[in-house]
Amino acid sequence: MKAFYSFIAVALVVTVISVLFVPGVDDFIEQTFQQYV
Amino acid sequence: MKLLKRIIVIVLCLLLIPVTAIATAAVKQRFADGPNRVFSGGPLESGELHSGPDPDWSFVNSIPTIEMQLLDPPQSRRIWITEYDSKIYVWSGYMSTAVGRLWKRWPVEAERDGRAVLRINGKRYERQLVRIEAGAILDGISSAIGAKYPSQTTKAAVEAGEAWVFEAAPRN
Repeated sequence: MKAFYSFIAVALVVTVISVLFVPGVDDFIEQTFQQYV
Repeated sequence: MKLLKRIIVIVLCLLLIPVTAIATAAVKQRFADGPNRVFSGGPLESGELHSGPDPDWSFVNSIPTIEMQLLDPPQSRRIWITEYDSKIYVWSGYMSTAVGRLWKRWPVEAERDGRAVLRINGKRYERQLVRIEAGAILDGISSAIGAKYPSQTTKAAVEAGEAWVFEAAPRN
């Protein structure tokens, strides 16, 4: 379980950095959010 | 029981990833020059600032949405607009529901301080939002809204407070 929590922590950090700094990621989230929500 | 608890924790942790992505995108947009299709944005900074007399506003009837920013608070959102009798109007529905009042904060903020900036086709217009709560003019405005959008904004709805309509008047 500890390994799983570590994986989640890393995934969250990668997610935040990707949304903030990788071009197109926030556009993808916007489109997906609009499409499904 | 322990297995069920573990499954719930795993599912919640996995759900946390897309939730974090959406929350981060929303926060990021708050610092951007305007809103996107989903998240509200920061102050409208780019685009020529219109000066002089009002244009013929009939062109807005061919524009699906515009960007609107209040000066206080300086946040922007994408919104519907219509023109009637050479004046332009914006509105917000769901205002008589608890969810609507939580979700739609800009009408309350605009009633407190109506100074706004509209960005239409990349051009910015300084306006003063003036709420219209009753009157015969609502017949014309609601007809213009209904002709452009699949909206239930009627005169009765406005007078009942279910929808808030504002004229985007010239700012003095």
